[in-house]
Amino acid sequence: MKTVIVKPERCVGCHQCSFECAVTHSSSKTRMGAISEAILSKPRIRVYLSSGKENFPNKCRHCEPAPCEMACITKAIYRDAKSGIVLINRDRCINCGMCAMACPFAVVRYYPYVRNRESAHKCDQCIDRQAEGKIPACVAACKVGALLFDEVNKIMDKDTEKLASLIYMGIRERVPEPGNFASLVAYKQKLNEIRRRQS
Amino acid sequence: MNIVIIGCSAAGLSCLDTLCKISPQAHVTVISAERYSPYSRCLLTYYLGNMMTEQELTISTPSSYPASVRFILGQKAEKVDTRGKSVRLSNGMECEYDKLLIAVGADAVKPKYCDEEKRTFTLRYMDDAKKIAAKLKGKAVVSGGGFVGIKTAYGLLERKIKTEMVITSSYPLSMVLDESSASYIEKDLAQMGIGIITNDDIAEINLHQNDLKVCLSSGRVLESDFVVAGKGVKPQVDLARAAGIKVNEGISVDEYMETSVPDIFAAGDCCETVDLARNKVSLIGLWPVAVEQGYFAALNMSGNRSRYPGSIGMNSLKTKAFHLISAGILKGEPGLKVYEKQMFATKQFRRIAFRDDVPVGMAFYNCPEEAGLFVNLIKKAQPLLVRPQKVVNGDVSISDILKPL
Repeated sequence: MKTVIVKPERCVGCHQCSFECAVTHSSSKTRMGAISEAILSKPRIRVYLSSGKENFPNKCRHCEPAPCEMACITKAIYRDAKSGIVLINRDRCINCGMCAMACPFAVVRYYPYVRNRESAHKCDQCIDRQAEGKIPACVAACKVGALLFDEVNKIMDKDTEKLASLIYMGIRERVPEPGNFASLVAYKQKLNEIRRRQS
Repeated sequence: MNIVIIGCSAAGLSCLDTLCKISPQAHVTVISAERYSPYSRCLLTYYLGNMMTEQELTISTPSSYPASVRFILGQKAEKVDTRGKSVRLSNGMECEYDKLLIAVGADAVKPKYCDEEKRTFTLRYMDDAKKIAAKLKGKAVVSGGGFVGIKTAYGLLERKIKTEMVITSSYPLSMVLDESSASYIEKDLAQMGIGIITNDDIAEINLHQNDLKVCLSSGRVLESDFVVAGKGVKPQVDLARAAGIKVNEGISVDEYMETSVPDIFAAGDCCETVDLARNKVSLIGLWPVAVEQGYFAALNMSGNRSRYPGSIGMNSLKTKAFHLISAGILKGEPGLKVYEKQMFATKQFRRIAFRDDVPVGMAFYNCPEEAGLFVNLIKKAQPLLVRPQKVVNGDVSISDILKPL
């Protein structure tokens, strides 16, 4: 089962994932259309800035077992049996606030989605896009590889191999890999390092 | 394997759902004293307020389960025979079990003035809600200032019924909040049009030719068309006690949700588990906690031994005017340090209580976003690595708190 994997150390905080998320969940599904809708579509992924000025993209982890699913008193939150994605049935949601109380990652928000009706909002792993064979919008939008869409074990394997080869070669400190925006990432990391040493 | 579940609410249903998932070969029998298909108890006040229909209250239907699951609705479990491993129902039927889950829940505490002849009700079951809905008229008195009391008053208000709340203590939600945070709620409730009478209790209720007179202990007399009492709940332990299972306040269970009798498990409002904020065994009568317990009971019943870590008292109260999330303990313990930030303009406050470095209680008013994070910190008894005052001020982002975890 593929899922969105977050690599906070690569994030440069461009917020393009949030924007694309909101666009994808709007009713028009186009960028210009989304910003002119009466009820603005809201992003389900957020990028936070820590006090060390490091970026931290935060979204629903689709936990198993999911605390929000357990806390939901109307059974509006359910798990899609096929994909394992935790979803919210807006028609059943009564906006009681239990899921926000239960979520350990603080990803549930309450917004109106039609006139006079609010409901809980959280990531649905772009289940509609996935049905069309596309990857989630936030992953498609990410330019620096901070968001990946793959199986957890595969990514873990890759990382383990990389680490093993580094250790084998006797390189302790990891060399930043060249990639998109490599210099920007390196610059940010250096900046963080300087700040950390100063404080 | 034959599994019998007594009780078909939060804990029973979550146990059933989990069993269907992890051991589909098991034969499960669900016994419920109520004749309705499983519904959500917390939503009864919404039903009362006409915000939801009876259909919407139903959370699952017996027909949606596989053939290995049998529902017996409207029959009470009368006796558990622990030697012969069977349960006798009120219609004389015997159900044999290999593993038994007792999830009978709790009953509403009935004060001594409670009498349905005098149009005084408690609100716990669907039948109660229907009885109250049939008597709805003009004015109402709600006794008790807990979560149930406030939610009932709010539901009645939605039906345009003039509601007075009679509260024994000097402010609402006195069990969880302290005076200054409760004053926000008091103000908002009054603004919505709910009258609040504090430091008083109902002494007597008299019925004079269809007029209900509610006499308070201070001597005041209120006129009302009906009374709803929300004075807390008490666990149903008679069945377990008669079967020789160890019972304290509630049914006593070990960390695997098993009672003193092997192969009999208990979960939900009827059993007592560890309160992580207080560090002692106590009753936590809450829907999310009951669901958790049912889940762990199902795991252990099907042979996957897993330890239930315990939980904390927490609740979320949302009305049109405000949204309160509270958890753990905020007062009543020496050495408790409370940090708070009040924002009068936006009608918000954040309040976190610490024992040494460890957060043990929180109350967030109108800012629900990050509440879950702190509820979890309280559950894990994890010391906060950032300065607490900064947290309540909102100066640190959640990544500072999440990252070291």
